[in-house]
Amino acid sequence: MPESIPASLIIDTLKDTFTEARVAFAAEGQPPSRHAHLGWVLSVPDTHQRTVLAALDKEQAIRTLTCATEDEAVTVAAGLYLGGEPAVVMIQHAGLYASVNTLRGVSLDGRLPVFYLIGLLSRERDRDPRESRHSMVRHCEPLLDTFGVPHARLEGPGDLHLIPEYHRVSRERRGPAVVLVGLETS
Amino acid sequence: MAIKPEDALRLIAEARGGAICVPTMTTSPAWRTLAPDDLSVTCVGFMGGASALGLGLALARPDRRVLVLDGDGSLLMQLGSLATIAGARPRNFVHFVFKNGVYHTSGSQEIPGGLTVDFAMMAKAAGYRGAWSIGELDDLRRRLPAILGAEGPVLVELITTLANETPMTARGGVPFPQQVEALRIKLRSV
Repeated sequence: MPESIPASLIIDTLKDTFTEARVAFAAEGQPPSRHAHLGWVLSVPDTHQRTVLAALDKEQAIRTLTCATEDEAVTVAAGLYLGGEPAVVMIQHAGLYASVNTLRGVSLDGRLPVFYLIGLLSRERDRDPRESRHSMVRHCEPLLDTFGVPHARLEGPGDLHLIPEYHRVSRERRGPAVVLVGLETS
Repeated sequence: MAIKPEDALRLIAEARGGAICVPTMTTSPAWRTLAPDDLSVTCVGFMGGASALGLGLALARPDRRVLVLDGDGSLLMQLGSLATIAGARPRNFVHFVFKNGVYHTSGSQEIPGGLTVDFAMMAKAAGYRGAWSIGELDDLRRRLPAILGAEGPVLVELITTLANETPMTARGGVPFPQQVEALRIKLRSV
């Protein structure tokens, strides 16, 4: 397993993901965006992905909005989608647990696409997350399975293709999709 | 000193122009009668989410006003959204909070703090550009044009009586997934 995932690679992938989403929106008949940037990151800061958040602070092509709660982050993302703007929700596993009702109400029942990048803080490198000693890590994938949320795990730079792929899944299924960040970013 | 919520909603409906509206809880039954087929989406199924849904719409569509028709109990569920909205500084965001002091839909249990909670003061402290409390219909009528034209985010706490209907007594309306799909399609052409 690699040591970490460089933040710059994740940001480049996010740009590609937003660009692809805008093309898809245009194909549906969305008018051109009123914004200069490519897309939005809604964040409740995640220690696991802190280097990405630090790099996003300097990034002009992506607008980042820090939210007070994960409920807000998910719901703001849904509102942006309604207005024709692509978004990514960046949170950590504890935030997923805190916002399960919003995931259900907004994205599952409401059929609004919401794509999540969720950091698995404290995930042990030598074991599968489902066997983690930490309940926050261990219960994450089973929780997503319970709700029928498609998910995949980002374990290294070779998995970055999962980000546009699962963003596409969320748009096509009109619901939530998750990429779990299994390694700290650097 | 309190406003009938239906009267306040009627004034807002008449004055809103092309604004996108996000009603929730006890504002929703009356709103679907006053504005049955327009640029509105009712926050239903995730109580407390109206302000954040409105924020997303306001950020996506800076060319159009967004009016959130919130409840006091609803806003308390995501009170942090005041800071998030203030931080995002959407100039086109108008936040109405219908304050009746109770969770009307679930049987009128008093909200924490009851009518003493001052949402206008909270909004100002969070960083909204303006916030006011209004308890008389004539006052709302007189000030509404300036409120709707103000640079956002602004909040108006409306001290109200109980609504005639709640989502429990007046069930129905267009299901949320169909509302969002309809609004997304409408927003493509306006």
